[in-house]
Amino acid sequence: MRDSDHDRQPHPRGDAHEFAEERESLWRITLAPTIWAFHFVISYAAVSVYCFRYDHLAAMGTLRAALIAMTALMLAAIAWIGWRAFQRWDVRGTGEFSNPEGNAEDRHQFLGHAGFLLALISFIGVVYDTLPLIVLASCR
Amino acid sequence: MTRNTRARHVRFLRSGWLLLLVPFLLAGCDGRQSVLVDGGADARILTDLFWVMLTGAVVLWIGMNGLFYWATRRSPAPHSQRMANWLVILGGILFPTLTLGALLVYGLTLMPDLRATGDGPVIRVTGEQWWWRVDYTRDDGSIVTTANEIRLPAGVRSTFLLDSKKVIHSFWVPSLGGKMDMFPGRVTEMTLGPERPGIYRGQCAEFCGESHAWMAFEAEVMAPEAFEAWLDAEAAPAVAPTSAEAGRGAALFLSQGCGACHAVRGTPATGRVGPDLTHVGSRHSLAAGRLGTSVEDFAKWVANPGAWKPGAEMPAYDHLTDAQIGAIAAYLEGLE
Repeated sequence: MRDSDHDRQPHPRGDAHEFAEERESLWRITLAPTIWAFHFVISYAAVSVYCFRYDHLAAMGTLRAALIAMTALMLAAIAWIGWRAFQRWDVRGTGEFSNPEGNAEDRHQFLGHAGFLLALISFIGVVYDTLPLIVLASCR
Repeated sequence: MTRNTRARHVRFLRSGWLLLLVPFLLAGCDGRQSVLVDGGADARILTDLFWVMLTGAVVLWIGMNGLFYWATRRSPAPHSQRMANWLVILGGILFPTLTLGALLVYGLTLMPDLRATGDGPVIRVTGEQWWWRVDYTRDDGSIVTTANEIRLPAGVRSTFLLDSKKVIHSFWVPSLGGKMDMFPGRVTEMTLGPERPGIYRGQCAEFCGESHAWMAFEAEVMAPEAFEAWLDAEAAPAVAPTSAEAGRGAALFLSQGCGACHAVRGTPATGRVGPDLTHVGSRHSLAAGRLGTSVEDFAKWVANPGAWKPGAEMPAYDHLTDAQIGAIAAYLEGLE
């Protein structure tokens, strides 16, 4: 009956259900965008509060260096999350892009796929957020 | 040649004729309120930005349409999975990321020049409904008040402190630089470095009520010595015209209570509600760019301001005779 539904090859690792933790993965795919959100809020809030009131306390360079260091840490975290998600997707092992089957292993790999793409866009977002810090040197 | 293709060719030729109209439409891009006419460094930066963006957009537009053409007419067969993957990775991720990143860096590098510190006069402009109160702070700390016209020395950066009385306005002289919003109760700052002397037109760029579109002003860029001479003259009290008609107009101006709202320095008229009229006769326009500066224009305005600027606070003086209005107009036109 199953085979008449579609003509896909049997899952290459159909018997390996060792990663059936999709509930956990569902939370995990939100990690990278959450880091991006924190990066955005922290950077913008820090610079606007500094420029509004506290620009006499420290040089702009100190704040920029601190925020750029934070950015480097966050980018490393996003890259790691993205790499883990890429492994979970396992596109090179299975050759499957879209994982259309509804079984636990497919859901697991699909969440890896989604997590990888979200990590990618979060990485780009954080880099774009940081460009003003690198290019602009003053509050003006 | 079939009928069908001939019809298509005819349609194409007709649309080709339409292209001939484009130069006439583009003529609208010239003039004293055009972003593409640069009166200074700021406008030049923005004009360059515009051309870069336009060129990029045209190239992208042609490229995308080329791809559509290729995919639907030239090579409509399905692509291999491998080819499709690379198309998405290169065209869908890498290209837009790099292009937008490059544009972002380019835009950001322009900002410090546009927001450079001023080294010229400090001019406070307050948005009113629907005119501009303009105060120049001189080196000795004294303030010269005028309205609806801004004069700037060429070759230095003037600083604008922008404020508003009641609603949000936006200060914009397209040929001199970017715009800046004016908020009630908060002073925003911008600087402009005009270089080429001339008379440009400014316009309120944030909807501020029924006569928003009539809230304009002239911005004259002058040689620095000419600017200093003008500011000296502007600081001096009014020189009343000497004709008998203008004399009657001066008396009417005071007896009709005009001085409750308008100031004419050197006379008992000291109102601060409306525009300062001390040297109104020497301005380039009347009522914030609404009318010219002939005696007839002054008469039209005094008789019924609401007809020219709907919602204007100034009442109509239609109870006066034409001769009386003419006398007031002659007086105001003579205030140079």
